[in-house]
Amino acid sequence: MLKMIHLSKVYRTEVVETYALRDFSIHVKEGEFVAVTGPSGSGKTTFLTIAGLLEEFTGGQYQLDGADVHGLNDNQRSRLRNQKIGFIFQSFNLIPDLNVFDNVDVPLRYRRLPGAERRKRINESLERVGLSARAKHYPAELSGGQQQRVAIARALAGGPRLLLADEPTGNLDSQMARSVMQLLEELHRDGATIVMVTHDPELAARAQREVRIVDGQVIDLAAQTRLVENPTSRPVV
Amino acid sequence: MMGYYLQLALRTLRRNIVLTSLIIAAIGVGIGAYMTVLTVLLAMSGDPIPEKSGQLFVPQIDLWGPNTRPKGAAGPVRLPDQMTYRDANALMLAHAAPRQVAMYSVQLDVSPLTGAPYSQQGRATYRDFFAMFQAPFKEGAAWSAKDETDRADVVVLGKTLAARLFAQRSAVGQTVSLEGRLYRVTGVLEAWSPMPHFYDVSNNPFGSGEQFFIPFTSAIGHEIDSNGNYSCASLPPPGWTGKLTGECIWLEFWAELPDAAAVRSYRQFLNNYSAEQQHLGRFHWPPLVQLSNVHQWLALEHIVPDEVRVNSLLAFGFLAVCLVNAVGLMLARFSSRASEFGVRRALGATRGDIFMQCLTETAVVGVLGGVLGLGLTALGLAANRASLGGELAEYTHRLTHLDPGVMALTVALAVGATLCSGLYPTWRATRVQPAWQLKAQ
Amino acid sequence: MEILPILVALRRNKVGAILVALQIALTLAVVANAMSIIQQHQSDMRRPSGLDEANILTLQNHWVGQPENLRASIDADLAAMRGTPGVVDAEATNSYPLLGGGWSWGIRLKPGPQTAPAAPTTLYMADTHGLDAMGLKLVGGRWFTSSEIGEWRANDEPGSPSTVLTAALAKKLFPAGNALGQVIYMINEAPVRIIGIVERAQTPWPAQGFGSSFAEFSTFLPFQFVNNGLNYIVRTKPGQVGSVMRALPERMNRVTRQRVMDRLQPFSETRTAAYRTQQATSWLLGTVCALLLAITGFGTVGLTMYWVGQRRRQIGLRRALGARRVDILRYFHTENLVIAGSGALLGVAGGLGANLWMATHLGTVRMSPVYILIGAVAVLVLTQLAVIWPAYRAASIAPSLATRGL
Repeated sequence: MLKMIHLSKVYRTEVVETYALRDFSIHVKEGEFVAVTGPSGSGKTTFLTIAGLLEEFTGGQYQLDGADVHGLNDNQRSRLRNQKIGFIFQSFNLIPDLNVFDNVDVPLRYRRLPGAERRKRINESLERVGLSARAKHYPAELSGGQQQRVAIARALAGGPRLLLADEPTGNLDSQMARSVMQLLEELHRDGATIVMVTHDPELAARAQREVRIVDGQVIDLAAQTRLVENPTSRPVV
Repeated sequence: MMGYYLQLALRTLRRNIVLTSLIIAAIGVGIGAYMTVLTVLLAMSGDPIPEKSGQLFVPQIDLWGPNTRPKGAAGPVRLPDQMTYRDANALMLAHAAPRQVAMYSVQLDVSPLTGAPYSQQGRATYRDFFAMFQAPFKEGAAWSAKDETDRADVVVLGKTLAARLFAQRSAVGQTVSLEGRLYRVTGVLEAWSPMPHFYDVSNNPFGSGEQFFIPFTSAIGHEIDSNGNYSCASLPPPGWTGKLTGECIWLEFWAELPDAAAVRSYRQFLNNYSAEQQHLGRFHWPPLVQLSNVHQWLALEHIVPDEVRVNSLLAFGFLAVCLVNAVGLMLARFSSRASEFGVRRALGATRGDIFMQCLTETAVVGVLGGVLGLGLTALGLAANRASLGGELAEYTHRLTHLDPGVMALTVALAVGATLCSGLYPTWRATRVQPAWQLKAQ
Repeated sequence: MEILPILVALRRNKVGAILVALQIALTLAVVANAMSIIQQHQSDMRRPSGLDEANILTLQNHWVGQPENLRASIDADLAAMRGTPGVVDAEATNSYPLLGGGWSWGIRLKPGPQTAPAAPTTLYMADTHGLDAMGLKLVGGRWFTSSEIGEWRANDEPGSPSTVLTAALAKKLFPAGNALGQVIYMINEAPVRIIGIVERAQTPWPAQGFGSSFAEFSTFLPFQFVNNGLNYIVRTKPGQVGSVMRALPERMNRVTRQRVMDRLQPFSETRTAAYRTQQATSWLLGTVCALLLAITGFGTVGLTMYWVGQRRRQIGLRRALGARRVDILRYFHTENLVIAGSGALLGVAGGLGANLWMATHLGTVRMSPVYILIGAVAVLVLTQLAVIWPAYRAASIAPSLATRGL
């Protein structure tokens, strides 16, 4: 599903070169629930934005759902992102001017789906996250946990191949965090592929497996997973 | 998608009502002020007779010599803008143009059957006048050629005067008492008042039109004096004969020349005539003639007062400030929604999608600004009309009456201006990098 | 000083600064020019006509058909008018100041038809009653005597041996100040002697472009104007204009009803009508200026407040690093001075340039630079005031709040 091979991302200014990701490789198979962890500044957010086609990368290869994303222009990336990926952000990022229903509607609009189809999917998504009753409410009227669930509904509505979550419980209290994680686990059981970035080891433990990033590179922790295709990489203990 | 963008636009405008109102106000006020002034300018510089403005010409002859002109003046030569009786008559007799008129403005007293007499503006002219200037007839027609040679006392009435004298009855065949003489009515015109009053600009370019027309020959026969400009470079002989033989100008002359060949040959004729007059000893300087069509004539006569042009410039400066204001406000508006645009991009919107969304919003604001501008323009024109009064009010009056052309122009201008102002803010909005927006959280 | 870092920061955020500067520049240019035009119009409109305006009314008159004895008809009218209670004097004439229509001619200092005129003038026919009927003030020589008054009929040539001029015209023709007694040439080759000078009488066209270069050059000729179609000027005792206006039509109709009387009005209406366009323009431009100042005022304040709001973090950081409130204030004031200053500079240059262009091509009056400089100073003061509130609020933000970033 998500395959990165020797990916690198360099930020260049006039005087300094910063490697956000260096020789980074990862393979997430369909149906897996992977947690990506690491300290602040390790590059996990960069990984996420590149995985989500929000940013370009400098070197290496990235295959999403079997297709190489190299050389795609901005419009093509937007379309791909719209079809294949569902985002769940730390600060929910719902559009405050729109109600719940319309928020979930947004990605479907950019898919140019007909009205009836959209309504069906939205209602199904909201049903799935248990918020059908709140369809007409505005984000400001919901609790943090509810807002995050709306965000999840939005991510699901398009039927994505991959869910990318960035600290999904970072802005929630423990009770709400638990209910959101429960939801994610449910989705995984139903067959969703989830990649979750988090700094919380407890959270990471609830995933299927964990990938650790330090200084832009992967550190292999779990022994039962084959991380890279290229055997020349050296695991670091 | 457009339906979606419209929905979004309306919703956003409603939720940010203060900022939106400020933008709409800025555009509306700017457009309102500019359109008020522009309407006046357009009215004054419009083509009064578009179908024929290229075929009607004013000949001018240098009767007064280079000494009467300012030395070293740039631009077209300012020759006398009216004609002497001698020249007008000579040109009429020469018949060098298929249609031609010599004419002058008169003011006569109308003595109705009942009630006190009152004076009216009229014109002494030839019968070709009506066909040349496309004066529309309500009933009847112009007088005949025989009437003209007979110097008959016949008259064509304007609609208002005919209604005043004869109410609903047909006026053709009736008689009207002008200055104590009885004139037979041969026709009545529809309401007709070309703006500007281009065939007689030296006298009253924006006044109301004449209410009666009598034959030139008849007026001269009765020694009816002119009510218009009368200018002399040297003293004429005394009396009415002096008016006919002197070097004072007091007549307007127009010729209809249907094509370029006719223009050329008429110009040749004028040159010949002028040279002939010089040979006859009438003047001693090199002959000089000028032939101007309607546009050139209006420009020569400076029909649009410079003041109106100045006002237009200043009003445009005002509009510019309003638009700059609007740009700033729109920038503020879009930047505060940068995160929304970032989210949309993350969810799959292309730059083009964001562009169209912002453009639609801008267009909606433009339309609303246009509507406000329309209202303010109407207000401005009404105020202008009230303060101008008199003759200048007449033509602005026409335009305060919901002229659909002006209304469309106002809204179009508003939308166009808003879109231009919104281009930069919209472009900025599309530049939002979804990644940065989300990271900055 | 602190200017350089401010400039660098501005360069990275050009757009907002450009917008404010542009607004200021345009406003300055437009308002200065508009105010200059308004001032020109208003001062034009305040010029006195030379008549005793408060006590004068006028009317147009012509008889239906041709009266048998035109002169007698006029005399009868004048007698009736002069006999009306409340009337000081009345006269019949061809034209008068601010009427909008009249006669113009050129005055020559030497005989000969080809001599160029020394000054243009307008011609007013007046009889012995003219001085009192119009309320003119004689400042030299004398008015006409009855033996000098001739008759002028249509198509006559108005030549006469004596004339009275306005002081301005006399000065133009004879700058040394010795106009009285001198000889000039007007209509024909006969010499005309200047026998009197009145303080002031405007031409019929001071408001319109046509006469503006010779608005004060008027000439009086001793003639009884005899024409079917003339103007009557009536001067009343103070406060009697209204009552005389009411009484006059009946008195005139008693003389004869075979006449048409038009535009019986006090002189104030003549003046209003004469300057109507100027007044309308003044109003229009005045409104535009007021609106412009309001818009730019609010716009600038709004934009500044917005910007300051955008930079709360930066401000908080500075404060956390040790900047005092007054340092923050000084930063914003300096920044605003730079922006508003450039706008003002641009506005002064643009305004003067536009004025020069308009003066050359559209005949407006050249604006004195004082206006626009005052405007520039006013703008700078205004924008500085506009910065105070947001800058103070910004400076008052607790540093900790700002660095926490919302």
